[in-house]
Amino acid sequence: MARVDTPSFVADGLTKLFPGGTTALDGLTVAVPRGSVGLVGANGAGKTTLFRLLLGLIGPTNGSVEVCGMAVATDPIGVRRRLGFMPEHDCLPPDQTAADVVATFGELSGLPPRAARQRASDVLDLVGLDEARFRSMAGFSTGMRQRTKLAQALVADPELVLLDEPTAGLDPIGREEMLALVERLGTFGISVVLATHLLDDVQSVCDHVVMIDGGRLVLSGPTEKLLERAGTVRLDVGGRSEDLGRALRHRGLTTEVLEDGTAEVTADGQDIDDVLDIVRDTVADLGLPLHSLSTGYASLDEVFLSQASGR
Amino acid sequence: MSTDGPVVTALSTGDPAFAAEATVEVRDLSVWFGPKVALSELSCSFGPGVTGLLGPNGAGKTTLMRAMTGLLGPKSGRVRVLGRDPRASREVQRSLALVPEDEAVPAGLTARQLVRYVADLHGVVDRTAVERCLDEVDLTDVADRKVGGFSKGMRQRVKVAAALVPDPTVLVLDEPLNGADPVQRAHLIALFRRLGAEGRTVIVSSHVLHEVERLAQRQIVLLQGRLAAAGGHRAIRDAMADRPRRMLVRTPAARQLAASLLGLEAVSGVTVDDGSIVVSSSRAGEVATALPRLARDLDTRLEEVRPLDDSLESLFRELVR
Amino acid sequence: MSGAVGAVGAVYDRGYRPYDGPRRGRGGTVAALFVASIRRALGIRRSWRQKVFPWVLLAIVTVPAVVNVGIGYVTRDTPAEGFSFITYREYVGVSSALLLFVALTAPDVVCPDRRHRVLSLIFARPLVGHDYVLAKVGAVTTIVFGFSILPQVVLFVGQMLVSDGALDYLRDNAEVLWQVPVAAGLLAVYYATIGVVVASLTSRRIVAGVALLALALVPSVVTGAVIANDADESSPVAVLDLLSLPLHLRDVVFLGHVDPDSPLGGVSAGGLMAAGMYTLVLVAAVAILLLRYREPDA
Repeated sequence: MARVDTPSFVADGLTKLFPGGTTALDGLTVAVPRGSVGLVGANGAGKTTLFRLLLGLIGPTNGSVEVCGMAVATDPIGVRRRLGFMPEHDCLPPDQTAADVVATFGELSGLPPRAARQRASDVLDLVGLDEARFRSMAGFSTGMRQRTKLAQALVADPELVLLDEPTAGLDPIGREEMLALVERLGTFGISVVLATHLLDDVQSVCDHVVMIDGGRLVLSGPTEKLLERAGTVRLDVGGRSEDLGRALRHRGLTTEVLEDGTAEVTADGQDIDDVLDIVRDTVADLGLPLHSLSTGYASLDEVFLSQASGR
Repeated sequence: MSTDGPVVTALSTGDPAFAAEATVEVRDLSVWFGPKVALSELSCSFGPGVTGLLGPNGAGKTTLMRAMTGLLGPKSGRVRVLGRDPRASREVQRSLALVPEDEAVPAGLTARQLVRYVADLHGVVDRTAVERCLDEVDLTDVADRKVGGFSKGMRQRVKVAAALVPDPTVLVLDEPLNGADPVQRAHLIALFRRLGAEGRTVIVSSHVLHEVERLAQRQIVLLQGRLAAAGGHRAIRDAMADRPRRMLVRTPAARQLAASLLGLEAVSGVTVDDGSIVVSSSRAGEVATALPRLARDLDTRLEEVRPLDDSLESLFRELVR
Repeated sequence: MSGAVGAVGAVYDRGYRPYDGPRRGRGGTVAALFVASIRRALGIRRSWRQKVFPWVLLAIVTVPAVVNVGIGYVTRDTPAEGFSFITYREYVGVSSALLLFVALTAPDVVCPDRRHRVLSLIFARPLVGHDYVLAKVGAVTTIVFGFSILPQVVLFVGQMLVSDGALDYLRDNAEVLWQVPVAAGLLAVYYATIGVVVASLTSRRIVAGVALLALALVPSVVTGAVIANDADESSPVAVLDLLSLPLHLRDVVFLGHVDPDSPLGGVSAGGLMAAGMYTLVLVAAVAILLLRYREPDA
């Protein structure tokens, strides 16, 4: 069961240089809480290298990292007992059945053979492969292969799973199903680190976001907090933002009509609650349709873009 | 949030499947590979501006893209680009560019060399074209690095630069934003919209619907080789009038407001959960107008109002069901 | 009262069940990998196409045993003219079938892990580089050993049955019962280790197989040529014939010394040299393997 007190992992000045000169990670220092965490960065930002360091597959050039409360440098085997890993690349032997492969990996993780078979069956059922699991994987679609990869990560009941671009290659339906699965993991007490370059995936599934770029930490914070935007209200009144703006300015609120037709109201020193009430009343008075209203950013993309332009 | 671009693909009267000033036309196009039917009597067209091409895996998007760029021929029906058959006319081929997702790039060349090579191949005279295209995709800083060492996102951008260098009228891109970080994606989205605004026909296929939403005003949705929907995604959603739209409302007096809303004729259903309400209605506009008034009457603050089915993703889900 | 039974119902969680059972240590992991590798090589639980080769080769190698027993039976009363019966010592030898078998098996056990990029999944498990090496070498050794032993069993049991007195035959040939397994074991370990090392260097089975055959045949041919030039047809150079090296150790097991008819025959301390070279080869092979699987390619 997940121990809620220790972070999923803690990196301290973690640096990794590869022969040939690439700096994959550069002094990364971050504590990542339990639960569902999104690790965001472009391809090449260092996400996969970080995963390999967490698993103890490679050693850092400098700095250290602790996973589930254990130092990777001193006990990589112990760390791996608690971890599940879903790599980005294809990694399943194509000529065996899903049930066989997942059971074998269960045994490799230390499960006795009978328990491994049982768990494999349970876990494949969980990811939605209950019928196909006895068929050879040669005929599997991308979605089915991705789900089998997830199954092998879960078979030994890990504390923490590392998912590297789990929605890669999936069509919108497949993505949705995969993200729904990832979300469920939290309810089972399994913590997740989801590495992806898609902020939208992270927004729908993760409670916490860690963003890295060029091997360095850009930011780390709870998703909800990141989406917060103090003192601003954005609303869509069906294209009648000019009218609304005029009325609101009349009542002392700074209002701007944005490029996409929405209105942005800024509170200069007023209490945001009062602003919300004034807005509501004004919209009601004018008889305008209130299609949307929010006090935060619409998406994480917006958050990062406004950060980037502010840089 | 989908935003208006300066050039919106004008539609021919009536059918949103066809663009008014169509540059790429497909009529009764059928393609099959042995027993597998990839496209089945598909008719639609594309015009200036950015159009999204969507569909589940196996829906026929890649086949359509290859048919449009002359890489494969129709088994029946026809394809016309700028009025001509893309397989036959060399002139049209020069105005066409396809950026496929998985094609490998020659690893030993630098970015600049690659783009220059393509420029030479197409007989591009303008010497500044190479630099401009590299700049458009933000690769000027790394232009002299070998492409083999590029990340996936960077390789995609090199391919886009190479596709842009012969100044194509029609640009077809398969998952062009794959692997890019948010800032790069924003730049690429801005680039494609700019290209669309210049009057080029930009057709983008992607599985990441949030991005397509930001990129393209008009969508063509394929399902099982056939045209499932066409047009702006909100308009398509409206066309599915029989399926109610849902809206999320967060407010302190949720239960009372929910009861109030239920009193509206336009409301077909209401769900309450811990300070938030989900309202279903086929007449979303009426509900939106009544909402602030009802909230004020109950003196409950509206903290958040969000349409749940407004996105391309939810539309897609509805279509595929 | 029966109505009350239907009044009670419950839904049990059909979601995820955590695992609270026993977990095996690294030893269990090695054992699991060992068993999985053997299953794979023998084609168990795989398509019949993959099952065919190993068993066909085994059948081929058992033929001499059957022939021997058959002729022995047929000629039990009259002396056989011109047919030299195979000895146990000779039967524990490198035949082309054995070579082919190793060239097929070792790559099959080792290369696909790299080819299909399964290595990164395996090493994400609680095991270390040398665990992997141990399991793989162990698996191939076991299979090669089985491959060599089975025909021997057929021969021995066959001979026992066609002889005049089975128990007498057993008593007279008792030392065979330990000689054959030991010699076969020495050969199995040797060929298996070399097989695994060569296979570990590439991800393509065919390349590994060809490389193994080349590695076996080239030094053999070269040293053969060198020795042929030598006057008395024996020379220490024979130790470099990697293919036949363990055969000298086999001879030591059966005869107590190197076979005088072999290319190492007249060399003083030939047995010692062979043993030394054997150890050297194995140590080098294992060193390469440990290096190869220290930081596995993801």
